[in-house]
Amino acid sequence: MNTLIIILLTLPFVSAIIAYIAGRSNQKYSFWIAEITGIILFAITLILFFNYSKPYSIDIEWFKFANISMPMGIYIDSLSLVMLLIATGLGALDIHFAHDYMQDDPHKPRYYSEVLFFIGGMILLVSAAEMTGLFMGWEFMGVASYLLISFWHHQKAPADAGVSAFLFTRFGDIFLFAAIGILFYASNTLNLEQLNTMAVSGKIDKDILFVSALFIFIAAIGKSGQFPLFPWLMRAMEGPTTVSALIHGATMVNSGIYIVARLFHLYTAAEALTVVATIGAISAFLGATSAIVQSEMKKVLAYSTMSHLSIAFVGLGASSLAAGMTHLINHAIFKALLFLGAGAVMLSAHHVKDMWRLGSLGKKLIWIAVFMGMGVLSLSGVPPFSGYYSKDAVIAAAWLSNDTQGAISILVTVAGVLSIVYIGRLWVLIFAGKARDEKLYKEIKKPSLFWIVLPLGVMAVLTLIMGFFQESISHFISGNDLPHMKYLGYYMLSAVILLAIFVYLFYYRRLDITQKLYSHPFVKGLHNILFNGWFIEKIIHWGVWNFIVEGIAKASYYFDRNIVDRFINFSLPASSFINHTLNRAKSLTPSQDSAYTIAGVIVLIAVIAFGGIR
Amino acid sequence: MNPLYMIFGPVVLAALVGIFFKEDFLVKIISLVLFVSMLIWSVSMLDTASINSFSLLGTYIHCNLIPIDLTLQVDRLSAVMLILTFLLLILVTLSSWNIKSSAYFALLIMFAGPITGVFLSTNLIWFFIFWELTLIPMFFLIGIWGAEGRIYASIKFFLYTHFASMLILLAFFLIYKQSGIMDISMIKESMLATPALIWWLMFIGFAVKMPIFPFHTWLPDAHVQAPAPISVLLAGVLLKMGAYAMIRFAIIMMPQTAEKYSYIILILGLITLFYAGFNALYERHIKKMVAYSSISHMGLVAVAISTVTYAGLSASLFEMIAHALVISPLFLIAGLLHERTGSWYMKDMGGLMQKAPFISTVFVLASLAALGLPGTVGFIGELSILIASIQKYGLWLAVIAIGSIIGAGYLIWTLRRVIYGEISDSVKTSNFRICKTRVFALLIFALLIIIFGLFPSILFDIIDPAFQAFNHTGGAL
Repeated sequence: MNTLIIILLTLPFVSAIIAYIAGRSNQKYSFWIAEITGIILFAITLILFFNYSKPYSIDIEWFKFANISMPMGIYIDSLSLVMLLIATGLGALDIHFAHDYMQDDPHKPRYYSEVLFFIGGMILLVSAAEMTGLFMGWEFMGVASYLLISFWHHQKAPADAGVSAFLFTRFGDIFLFAAIGILFYASNTLNLEQLNTMAVSGKIDKDILFVSALFIFIAAIGKSGQFPLFPWLMRAMEGPTTVSALIHGATMVNSGIYIVARLFHLYTAAEALTVVATIGAISAFLGATSAIVQSEMKKVLAYSTMSHLSIAFVGLGASSLAAGMTHLINHAIFKALLFLGAGAVMLSAHHVKDMWRLGSLGKKLIWIAVFMGMGVLSLSGVPPFSGYYSKDAVIAAAWLSNDTQGAISILVTVAGVLSIVYIGRLWVLIFAGKARDEKLYKEIKKPSLFWIVLPLGVMAVLTLIMGFFQESISHFISGNDLPHMKYLGYYMLSAVILLAIFVYLFYYRRLDITQKLYSHPFVKGLHNILFNGWFIEKIIHWGVWNFIVEGIAKASYYFDRNIVDRFINFSLPASSFINHTLNRAKSLTPSQDSAYTIAGVIVLIAVIAFGGIR
Repeated sequence: MNPLYMIFGPVVLAALVGIFFKEDFLVKIISLVLFVSMLIWSVSMLDTASINSFSLLGTYIHCNLIPIDLTLQVDRLSAVMLILTFLLLILVTLSSWNIKSSAYFALLIMFAGPITGVFLSTNLIWFFIFWELTLIPMFFLIGIWGAEGRIYASIKFFLYTHFASMLILLAFFLIYKQSGIMDISMIKESMLATPALIWWLMFIGFAVKMPIFPFHTWLPDAHVQAPAPISVLLAGVLLKMGAYAMIRFAIIMMPQTAEKYSYIILILGLITLFYAGFNALYERHIKKMVAYSSISHMGLVAVAISTVTYAGLSASLFEMIAHALVISPLFLIAGLLHERTGSWYMKDMGGLMQKAPFISTVFVLASLAALGLPGTVGFIGELSILIASIQKYGLWLAVIAIGSIIGAGYLIWTLRRVIYGEISDSVKTSNFRICKTRVFALLIFALLIIIFGLFPSILFDIIDPAFQAFNHTGGAL
């Protein structure tokens, strides 16, 4: 098993290099290397999964300096295995899908090697035993995400989006980095399991524990696109859709939830779960409301990702590991399905993202419409699709826990129910109604069954089947039942049906009324706020630009030139000497100058030597 | 081998080569052979320096009147510094392959002599002489092959560091006056009557060289005007000389006084870290940005030194090597951009990735390493310093992490402006083909950044013994 685990961890990186080099001679090679690697990784994960009895663990010392030893071991338990299945399974499907999606791109070797690098980072993150390995995987994913968002770096928007993604997530990451230092100081270990046990047994100071839990959570906020560090996630949609599906829908954005789940006992002991739930509830609400008014389909999916990740955070915040993690798994599958579905639509519709230019595509892209429809049902919470069970479990947990009852549970319920509005709207605008752009409609291409429709079908079937295994997944991860609340399912379902009728009326039946409504000043204003993601990005950008760049940085820039440099040049005791020599030195040749210096040195040595003797 | 050859040999060789060889290709080969053999020699000294105290290489020049015995001793610290120096000299020679002047390479050869002397001589006077002699080839290299403002920069550089040297000399004088010994290996802190005064003189003197705020303003000028390979030498060797001397004299020799003033080094180091970072954030001159980034990293080194502990010193040495590996390719590429586009400013650049993918990839990698991405040397340096300094000063030292978000700010924006985005006219019309040796040098830097980043134990195994004794005796080596 150990050999398999080592292969699992190193193969993606090795393949990334090979895919790049091989792709230089023939671009086809890079795809096949990536595809085969993806399948092998998934196979290894399956072997590990089916042979799982107790956690796999390997101890490795990374480096040692002075009396400090930095380990970087491997630890794979049920939580890691589930994440591994998502990363490698969806990764393989995503690579398969990219065969057609990236077909016309001249930089395929770079694409596949960066995707493999990303998958490697994700595997490293979830199988790390220590904070060091975890941080390494965390940052590898961050950099892969940066490079892939700016994949089309010669255009302005993707290049800017990459910067935004890197800086927003990096802002969170420095807190994780600081937390590593703090936790090592407080506990003398970076082993995640040991940290959990030490936190529970009270060996770490309570305040330190709270601060480090908070710091780690800030990193999670950045990575998982939560309030207030979410704007990068919407900008990240500038990248290829396959990248959005894998990184910004299904895997990387989950890592924030994973880290909280991994240190769940630490969070419980630090009493920091309320913070998690609060931020989660706010983000869930902001994301759900903003998603309703977006016009680009990828932006709708991005805001819905934010909102659903927040729902998973609320699940954890309500002290239910089971609810949060099951929702994360279900979300990963149906969100990858929806993103790839959107990608398939874009591929057929000449990369048009604006839903208002599409419409009536259901007639031409029947399979994509059906499979995406299954994703829609799962996301909005209709039984027997998997999303229904986990979302209800989270909401039940939020209502049952004393800490989250009240504002948090109300917000998350609203966000959960609103899912049907934005996602139903997306489906209706794309696949139903009239074709709003006749020219585009005529040029719709048929997608390839094997490369495009097959991965969608696999995920659609999965999201349906998974609905029947919710309790066993929950048991596998946490050993507990999913939280359950009487009649909640009925309430939720009736709300979903009511809102579905609303969507039917507003976006299908009487689209003219909706469009008229948009011209009303109040609706227009509200629409503007929601459309811009509650202006969070503008506020942050304004603050950073005015206080950091044009404030502190500019001040130190001028301070350095006008004060420090001049002060040192002219007001030290040697000022007149320097001034004088500077003026004189202009007429000196360098050799004269150095001759003077050497002479000076010799004189000084003599002075010291003789001075010392007396 | 007689170490005297290693010190005076290059100087004599440089004179001969400068006089008799007009063909620059031959001089390039000679300098490469010399540096490679000196690298091998210094690596072989690791064995001698395996124990963590000085081992004597030889004593030369004896004079009854004045204590100027040229005592050459090596320990792990100086051996590591020599390896770094010669490795960089090889890479500098390779990356200045396009310079067609035998005098340039003769000066590089000449530089190798005194720098060996600086790291090997334990006699204070000889240390000082070599310390000053390193300036002379540097002065010419900047003054002759530099950019437009080279005269001002080279003189400022010379006078500035020279002024600092005066303080150092004064301190050495006081040391000798109070202890009667001229050899570092024998001086104990307890022999000194006014340790505080001596410490302060040395601290300021070395702080200029490192540089630490507020004595850093010579560096941006010198770096910008110097030819790119010489910037590498400045950042990789000359600044390291300052840090080396700081560790050797202000820390290892006087641990008690250093402990007393450790907070001052710490605060100045933190200020340097943030302040230089903010300067880089506002800087649009690409090479000045790299220069400020270099200062910012040296601030981190100062923080590590300030701990006065085994762990901290080990971390500082690692970060010094990391800094040399990371900042050098940035300087080389910034210089190359100026060489080919004729502009220093980022607004004239953009879209380099489309024109020169290899150079851009190395630039991206080095930038990511500079902002401390795991998997690169930069991260190991930052992590070990974070842990060592938190161990010493407590949790508030977690503020070091802020340094890496400032770093991310200026480096990622630089990447956006220079490497990515729409291709600019000046980049479009320029030719970025470089000769194979320069490609090779960049490749070596890139590989070392990754190898030491993934397997830091290779490097830590070498450098860690340097400070082992410091732990056990709580001071004097």
